[in-house]
Amino acid sequence: MDGIIKVQFFGLLRRRVRTAAVDVAGEDVSVLTLLGRAEKAAGGRFLDELLDREKELLAGTIILVNGENIRLKQGLETRVRAGDTVALFSPAGGG
Amino acid sequence: MSGWMGKIVAIDLGSRERRTVAVSEETRRRFLGGRGLGVRLYNDPCPDPIDPFDPDNALIFMTGPLTGTTMTSGRYQVVSRSPLTGTICDSSSGGTFGAALKGAGVDGLIVRGRAERPVYLAVQDGEVEVRDAAALWGLDTQKTQKAVQAEISSKASVACIGPAGENRVLFAAVMNDKDRAAGRGGMGAVMGGKNLKAVAASGNRAVAIADPAGYKDLTARLDRIVDKNPVTGKSLQVLGTSVLVNIINAHGMFPTENFRRGVFNDAEGTSGEKIAETLLERQSACYKCPIGCGRTTRTRTKRGEGPEYETAWAFGANLGISDLTAIAEANYACNELGLDTITMGGTLGCAMELRETGAWKENFRWGEAGRLLDWVTDTAYRRGVGADLALGSKRLAVKHGRPELAMQVKGMEIPAYDPRGAQGMALSYATSNRGGCHMRAYMIAPEILGHPVFLDRFSTAGKAELVALFQDVSAVVDSAVLCRFLQFAVGISTFAEILRTVTGLDWSEEELMRVGRRIYTLERLFNIRAGFGRADDALPPRFLNEELQTGSSRRRRVGLEPMLDDYYAVRGWDRNGVPRPQTLAELGL
Repeated sequence: MDGIIKVQFFGLLRRRVRTAAVDVAGEDVSVLTLLGRAEKAAGGRFLDELLDREKELLAGTIILVNGENIRLKQGLETRVRAGDTVALFSPAGGG
Repeated sequence: MSGWMGKIVAIDLGSRERRTVAVSEETRRRFLGGRGLGVRLYNDPCPDPIDPFDPDNALIFMTGPLTGTTMTSGRYQVVSRSPLTGTICDSSSGGTFGAALKGAGVDGLIVRGRAERPVYLAVQDGEVEVRDAAALWGLDTQKTQKAVQAEISSKASVACIGPAGENRVLFAAVMNDKDRAAGRGGMGAVMGGKNLKAVAASGNRAVAIADPAGYKDLTARLDRIVDKNPVTGKSLQVLGTSVLVNIINAHGMFPTENFRRGVFNDAEGTSGEKIAETLLERQSACYKCPIGCGRTTRTRTKRGEGPEYETAWAFGANLGISDLTAIAEANYACNELGLDTITMGGTLGCAMELRETGAWKENFRWGEAGRLLDWVTDTAYRRGVGADLALGSKRLAVKHGRPELAMQVKGMEIPAYDPRGAQGMALSYATSNRGGCHMRAYMIAPEILGHPVFLDRFSTAGKAELVALFQDVSAVVDSAVLCRFLQFAVGISTFAEILRTVTGLDWSEEELMRVGRRIYTLERLFNIRAGFGRADDALPPRFLNEELQTGSSRRRRVGLEPMLDDYYAVRGWDRNGVPRPQTLAELGL
């Protein structure tokens, strides 16, 4: 039985998936794998808000694993483990 | 003269004497307009710094060559010496007032002296008329604007002060077009000190464009770029600036209870997402702005503008308050009374910590939303506890013996990003020449949002170069004058292109960056003459000595001194932060 990884949606992404968070089953997966599972769990597509066609992170996209930006880790290959929280933000700005 | 109406009027409110100030093409090349030209004119003739409330302290309303032309060009800058900080200050505001001033045939106003009785200025057809404002004195900013429009023209754009400015509250704002604010630095207090209640502008004169065909192509291209950009074309439109609440909170640097923590448990309830679901009536936009980041909102009993990100924080997490209605209504009150929401919230946060430590016996408690409106109103009228709050946090904390509890730089309250979470932003606060503000170099863009590149927020390496670069670009945009949010979509080369098609003058990217550097250095020179130096390029000790205990910025402090050394070297300033003669020579200062 897999553990649970919490995936949170913010900004425009939340309006797209119409939920603030989903629980995804997983023990030790890459962020990319997790995103695919999160789409299924949320019941709607949203990856195009975060990734380009080559499955690279779009400029301005923020993905935090337990508060740490994956761009400072291994990007989409960053490992996520059961009990972790992953926060997804589509590009945003303000001041 | 393309890009300009060709008239800057200097007026003395005491003698009523007025004259036209000539500005050479060379000066326009070197300082553009808006902030840069305003600061240049403030320093002409190079005065010894005088008390901000001295009648001779000039208060300058300045537009730029792009004002009244393309998208987001309704803005204007107010320049003077700040009574809050004692530094040179420029405060920027959106809406339509800048465009209206040029429509009225005037590029800028230099106001000196003090009127014997309250007056307002009416600008039409290139002329400036001094009119009696006795009946307006005491009115809030909304009623003032309506009353002036009733006298002048329903189409007039009005910049004015409310009771806070009349009472010289040190962080009084100038308000225009209902709820747009030249908020920071107390420009409204300087205006009140001159007995100047309002400036109204109306007229339909068009700004001449040097290269109409090139301008048309360029602006069509700009339209597409801004529309396609996910920030300017989507996020800011749908969620406004408060989309940042959850982002900054998730990074553990959302200042909570006077910067004692970096995570606010109730952040979600004050977020842009929440505002869109609850209070939002519609988005609102400044002159020719396709973005429309403004929020027209309503509570059960009131209607107004905001809260924007900074205000949602200043009256929210900063005070431990999660009641969105109370936050919005405090925002409306600040707009009506003419108060800077950031300094108001920062000062209340300081008051609450003073009370908690026993240094001030007044009844300020974290999370007390019910008294927020009273505190704001009392501040504008300087009554009761408001008499002390009207001083801003630095003077308040000094008065009560705990200066370290004021979260300020050079007397201006730090906004909604804990500097321990972003080293570049920390350096930006410390070296900002108008004090603790985020607008001089918005390092949150690269350090958190990934614009235009993504940087490690905890690293100090290379931050000095980037802070100086951002400060220079910002000075250019504030002088053009355009909205800084365009920077999410375009860079310096586009600004150079727009300036060329409008004015017919060519600036290479390098020249334009030198313009920004020149402006920043001129501001620095004023501050040095006013007594500021390295010791003032500082942060409250909390950020240097105390670590955040929770969230993803925990166990971090600001490593300021090494970055400051780097920064001075990059700037061509000596170890005390004084520009070297060679630097001044290179900039022609």
